[in-house]
Amino acid sequence: MDKKDKEKQILMELLALSAVEHLSVEDEQQLAQLLLQYPEYKKDDFAKTTALSQIGFYLMDDTANETLPSEIRNKILETYDSPLDEKNTLPGFNFTSLFKTLIKPAYAWSITVMLAIGLSYSMITFKTYENNYRYLPLKRMVLKNTAKDLMNHPWYGKTSDFETIQGHVIWSNDKQRGFITLTGMPINDSSLNQYQIWIVDPIKYLNPVDGGVFDITTSEKEVIIPINPKLPISNARAFAITLEQPGGVVVSSQPLLLTAPKERPKQKI
Amino acid sequence: MELIINNLSIKDNSDSRMGNTSPKVHENLLSKVANGNPEAFEKLINKYGNLIWSIARRYLSNQDEAEDAIQEIFVALWQSAGRFDPNKASEITFISMIARRRLIDNLRKNNKHKVLKSIEDSLSDDVFSQKSNLERNAEISLVVRALKKLDIQDQELLSLSIYQGYSHLEIAKLLNLPLGTVKTKIRRNLMKIRDEIKRVNTRVKNYYHG
Repeated sequence: MDKKDKEKQILMELLALSAVEHLSVEDEQQLAQLLLQYPEYKKDDFAKTTALSQIGFYLMDDTANETLPSEIRNKILETYDSPLDEKNTLPGFNFTSLFKTLIKPAYAWSITVMLAIGLSYSMITFKTYENNYRYLPLKRMVLKNTAKDLMNHPWYGKTSDFETIQGHVIWSNDKQRGFITLTGMPINDSSLNQYQIWIVDPIKYLNPVDGGVFDITTSEKEVIIPINPKLPISNARAFAITLEQPGGVVVSSQPLLLTAPKERPKQKI
Repeated sequence: MELIINNLSIKDNSDSRMGNTSPKVHENLLSKVANGNPEAFEKLINKYGNLIWSIARRYLSNQDEAEDAIQEIFVALWQSAGRFDPNKASEITFISMIARRRLIDNLRKNNKHKVLKSIEDSLSDDVFSQKSNLERNAEISLVVRALKKLDIQDQELLSLSIYQGYSHLEIAKLLNLPLGTVKTKIRRNLMKIRDEIKRVNTRVKNYYHG
């Protein structure tokens, strides 16, 4: 077996493995490298096989008799296209309890102002991982007001197209949560490319960590995007945004568009 | 019209070939969901809710987590519906790929796993009819055939990994097998199934296009 055949075999093995569980950082890096070398292979090559196999096993499983409970079905129905209805809270985020937590004089005025001018959903679509995208302005405000180790940096454009972009990134290592805001970002075509957030944690990781991908559908308003790190972050030092293929990449070879803080992160993205 | 290719039966749904003067309009649920049609979203839940709920219960350790997961899955489906391309994948494949991604992420987030016993004693009419519909899908029936061809231990390994969401390390501990063996077997069997799907699709394509 020559070198190319061996590499392709490893690539197939990693692709098959990635379809059933998350890869280690080293395996992810190796996979990214091999996909660059052999672009005829795609990251999702085994996704269809595993998805169909999952259904196959469901059909073969005589104990798979569960019916979706009607109360859960109704909750799901209510979430469709009714974003700001107070009744439609998703599990884990209760509007009433949030208000009780926040009714302190320092917060009350800001909540009143935001409600008065109208909370709106971020006009974005993005791939969410752990977080759901509802009530982002409030969630961001909660983080700002409760995180003791909050980092807050403005974005700096690294190319002429991005010099006028306004926004900030906030992040808490303790809470492993963060949000970015952006105004004036160019709209992307999600079938061609997506923006990707990177988190620089030089103590823990050799390479910046994937913070999630997102699309921009408007340049007119401020958008809020949650940061979704793929790995635990111990000490975030900087953040960056690049434009990648749909779904993002593990290791970027694209130019930096925005960084926060201003100076270039020490790691190579 | 039904074609039999080496015991694999594929239904040709294009009624126009049969001279039917009232062409069937194939309902593309996902494009309607993407366009903000609440009835379509409800149909989507009715069509796939039981399947996704059943799989979520196997992946996640308790009902609250499964409930969170299924809500996230349907929101993700709503958001991604506009990207569905029926030329690239069937509706069920697209939906289950999105569901799988969310469940694997949830499993990683929650870092716990338990197989739940079914609370139903018998197959409800609703679930029976939905399972029957799934079985009629050509690709799915092909995959079921391919899975049944595997030996029992390989089926078990794949089921624990793909269907029940156990990691390779957990499977190795459960079955008292070396981790390397588990990884190799799962990988090889996945490649077998993938190759089988490709092989049959190529033969069908060649049959149609000479």
